[in-house]
Amino acid sequence: MRWSRVLLVFRKDLSEVSRNWEVMAPMILVPVILIVIIPVMVTLVPDSMSGSGNANLMDTIFPNLPEAVRDTLSPLPEGLQMTYIMLVYFFAPFFLVIPLMVSSVISSDSFAGEKERKTIEALLAAPFTDGELLMGKVLVSFAPAMGVTLLGFILYTAVVDALTVGRFGFLLLPNLTWLVMILFLAPAVSLLGIGATVIISSRVKGFREAQQLSALMVVPVLALLFGQAAGFIIMGPGTLLALTVLVLVADSALFGVGVSVFNRERILSQSH
Amino acid sequence: MESIVAEDLTKRFSGLTAVDRLSFEVEQGEIFGLLGPNGAGKTTTIRILASLIQPSEGEAYVGGLSVRDDALRVREIIGILTESPSLYERLSARENLEFFAKAYGVDEPQTRGARIRELMEFFDLWDRRGDRAGTFSKGMKQKLAIARALVHQPGILYLDEPTSGLDPKSAKDIRDLMERLSQREGQTILLSTHRLEDAERLCDRVMIINRGAAVSVASPRELRQRATGAHVVNVGLREVTETLREAAEAAEGVKDIEVKDGALSVTLASEGYTPILVRGLVEAGGSIMHVVPQEVSLEEAYLKVIGGE
Repeated sequence: MRWSRVLLVFRKDLSEVSRNWEVMAPMILVPVILIVIIPVMVTLVPDSMSGSGNANLMDTIFPNLPEAVRDTLSPLPEGLQMTYIMLVYFFAPFFLVIPLMVSSVISSDSFAGEKERKTIEALLAAPFTDGELLMGKVLVSFAPAMGVTLLGFILYTAVVDALTVGRFGFLLLPNLTWLVMILFLAPAVSLLGIGATVIISSRVKGFREAQQLSALMVVPVLALLFGQAAGFIIMGPGTLLALTVLVLVADSALFGVGVSVFNRERILSQSH
Repeated sequence: MESIVAEDLTKRFSGLTAVDRLSFEVEQGEIFGLLGPNGAGKTTTIRILASLIQPSEGEAYVGGLSVRDDALRVREIIGILTESPSLYERLSARENLEFFAKAYGVDEPQTRGARIRELMEFFDLWDRRGDRAGTFSKGMKQKLAIARALVHQPGILYLDEPTSGLDPKSAKDIRDLMERLSQREGQTILLSTHRLEDAERLCDRVMIINRGAAVSVASPRELRQRATGAHVVNVGLREVTETLREAAEAAEGVKDIEVKDGALSVTLASEGYTPILVRGLVEAGGSIMHVVPQEVSLEEAYLKVIGGE
């Protein structure tokens, strides 16, 4: 594989994607809502954290927390305990939505969008191997997804710590759980979104159709969220590493299928 | 030397035979036309020859390289104008050409820049080089797509409907360019077109395809003659007399004579008998004003060939 060719496809797609508001708008809006607006609301309205519904949430999550965390939280008022659980545990799965969403949106544009805009034939006729084209397009989806995720994590950490350090007396983030999630699970989840979109894009004719179908990938992440709220799972470093391995296995399977469907003949026969 | 050789090229798509045992050769510097109705298999043939899709059976060699085994190298040495312009509409005209120039290995920035400028100036696009391709008219997009096909100065060029959507002046510019590329620069051009005037004017030979199979391969002139069925010449005379008619009848190779609009319409056994006819008429005292071979147009020939299928 010639990396200069891979980077050529990457740069071309990046230029195209950055000029498409249909791609850029969700890439900016969703992280801003998840990373800034919701945490600010949770932090600035602590009274809302002590209602009866949240008491149930406390009952299910609190006993499952690691002992050290329970010891840290026990002396704190219930509102602050809830704030801690929300910001450190409850929002963590939401954060996985970002690499999944960004990678799916970009790869929908890059794979299905190119087919829809009928630009694919000239690209396929150019002297790139299938592997170079696929790698360039995977990279253009993966790199921005991880960039937004890392930037979002830094921003989220800064917002959360700035808003809570006065009341807690210590920095809530970063902690080991979040570092494992951002550095290991998020890239694996991002690849999951791309792999699924490559396959979906080979079956559909347009960008929007691919985007809508790949949005279904968020369902497992929501399952994680509800699993945590129901007390079935607590996102500690060990759990997240195990999840990373599971997701990587799924990635391998999806990419295996993705590589087989990404060939010139199949793409051309479906673009007309 | 052959630039393109197709041997029993066949392509089937889930039961449908799109290309059916096509065999032909295209010489270096030749403009070879593919003519045929929609769905005849022209675009599929070009895609096989561009190593975009693999033939189900048969083999083709482009520049001596197998389209099956040397796909990447084949794609490197050809330039292709696809059925639709296939331009990145969010990128500028120049960015489109830059991307494809790099993709085709025009790595040296000065050479690349000079080539892009040369092409954009030729196609009157230089002043719009920074504008997004999406803002261009259909004709401008077509010109930009042709410029993209030429950016790496390929020795073999595939053009799928190159004058489609162009105004008469731009269409003429493209035809002139194709002639120049073929005659002066020795480029081999495979031209797929519906526009018979393009084929008539440009192609050394044309292949008429119908339902994937080759119906006829010949020069446009030979095709017209074949469609006419016999060689007919109109001989304009100052005055048509019985003596001249008899002299014409007596000439070797003459099969039939009609007097039409003050001229003789003479059916000959072959084109080679024309000088004998002319000599006979002159010796009989005829004043010949003109001798015009009567042929059907390429369009009529094409319709006759397709209709006869």
